[in-house]
Amino acid sequence: MWEILQTPELERALLIAIIAGPIMGLLGTFITLRGMAFFSDAISHAALTGVGLGIALRLANDVYGTGMQLVLIVFCCLVGLMMAWLFERTSLRADTVIAFSYSGAVALGVILISQLKGYQSLEGVLFGEILFASNEDVWMILGLSVVVLAFLLLNMKALLLCVVHEDLARIAGINIRRLNYLFVLLIALVIGFLLQQLGALLVSGLIVIPAAASRMVATSFRQMLLLSAAFGLLAGALGIVASAQFNLPTGPTIVLSNVAFLIIAMVLGAAVGRGKLVRPGTSQLDRV
Amino acid sequence: MESDRKSYLSVENLNVSYKQNHVLEDISFQIERGQFVCVIGPNGGGKSTLLKALVGLLPIRSGKVRKEARNIGYVPQQLRIDPAVPLRVDEFLSLKLSKRRIWFGPGRTRTAAKKKLEEIGAAHLIDRQLSELSGGEFQRILIAYALLDDPDLLLLDEPMTGLDARGGMSFDGLLHHLNDHVGMTILMVSHDLHLVEHLSDQVLCINRTVHCHGSPDQVLQPDNLSKAYGHLPGLVSGDGNEAFIPIGKLK
Repeated sequence: MWEILQTPELERALLIAIIAGPIMGLLGTFITLRGMAFFSDAISHAALTGVGLGIALRLANDVYGTGMQLVLIVFCCLVGLMMAWLFERTSLRADTVIAFSYSGAVALGVILISQLKGYQSLEGVLFGEILFASNEDVWMILGLSVVVLAFLLLNMKALLLCVVHEDLARIAGINIRRLNYLFVLLIALVIGFLLQQLGALLVSGLIVIPAAASRMVATSFRQMLLLSAAFGLLAGALGIVASAQFNLPTGPTIVLSNVAFLIIAMVLGAAVGRGKLVRPGTSQLDRV
Repeated sequence: MESDRKSYLSVENLNVSYKQNHVLEDISFQIERGQFVCVIGPNGGGKSTLLKALVGLLPIRSGKVRKEARNIGYVPQQLRIDPAVPLRVDEFLSLKLSKRRIWFGPGRTRTAAKKKLEEIGAAHLIDRQLSELSGGEFQRILIAYALLDDPDLLLLDEPMTGLDARGGMSFDGLLHHLNDHVGMTILMVSHDLHLVEHLSDQVLCINRTVHCHGSPDQVLQPDNLSKAYGHLPGLVSGDGNEAFIPIGKLK
């Protein structure tokens, strides 16, 4: 089976999955605990406008390459900061801010791209193309992973205290506003970096699904963190191998591989009575 | 002044604003070491704001707060945690016990956490997830968290709200223990005037300003309460939204 991975493209794809999978799993743990799953979704979808702007302003020639990656990183960070600012400064609920930022940015992106000469297919942006990754991409993703890991390790106590009660975090001397903005920047940075490889429609799922799977079986936060990283790594690697073996699109196969882990975790969790599929009185529908 | 030297916490002409609203005006009172003081008053009267201002969570517009207490423990008003959070009790307590910047689980702090939990009769909860605890159990854990750095003054914001009768009685016993046996000075916001009468040495009744301050017998009088609340607090609701007036006082 390993012969199928003997091309440089697949080797690089596997390396990216092994490096980025656990990091996205770790980051996803905090994103889900802080209720920010849709926030990461909105940033990745808004990147369509980034692609349109990058081409329109002649900062990049196509949807791949370093030029476009820089445009995407900057654009994702700006969208993330704008939404964080709106959460803070307006009385609108977070889901409302996310909804209009998301649909507004997607609409603008599609119009921009459709008006460009030599209109390009959006498929690459929407679903990503991990097999087009270069050696430089692998090194950049490794660097990004170091930054994410360092941030999470250094701020884990602060992030957790904020999840329990923000007043306890403030008393412990944590600057919650600064922490929130830095966390938003980190999410935007990860999405901006990985968008070309994993796609606007798929990247936030790859951040959130490993964390959701680990929550179904974890009995402690530490377990959730470790399992989330493990699921991210295994699902990423399995997705690459399966896509090569069965000649399937790589990004979607990685997502499906993550979903398979989630389903297994749900069944296991329900079997041992941990991650109950529905907790009495806590269904999301109860809150609508 | 003699009273100043004795006072453990002294608040003079405290004014606190929140989003351009004057929430507290000209609040003055003193607490002595070992006292159990309850803060009562109607909803929106500034009780929680007072506690938050005392621990530095809200800025003070003017006035003085003098604290002789070395350490102040604060228990915020909260009953539950999101079920999506699998944080265990030992992990939660280690967030305060662990002095290292990089945290990765309870590790060596578990022994200290267990000791503190034993002190308040909650050692059996150490391996439970916070989201699985009942309201009373969760409040106990928040108290254990507040007690970890051995405060001399404990501030509690409506810790009994939403507890059932059994949980309330057990919690009542814990507060008695901390005040009578450990000698901790306690300032607690409460809506339950039965409990206030039963537990406190002093009662502070506020509705933006101090309406009355003194022993439970002096403060818990129908006249005082109806002035502060705008009406006589009801007898029926135990959900924390309506205060109880002790039946004896009505007679």
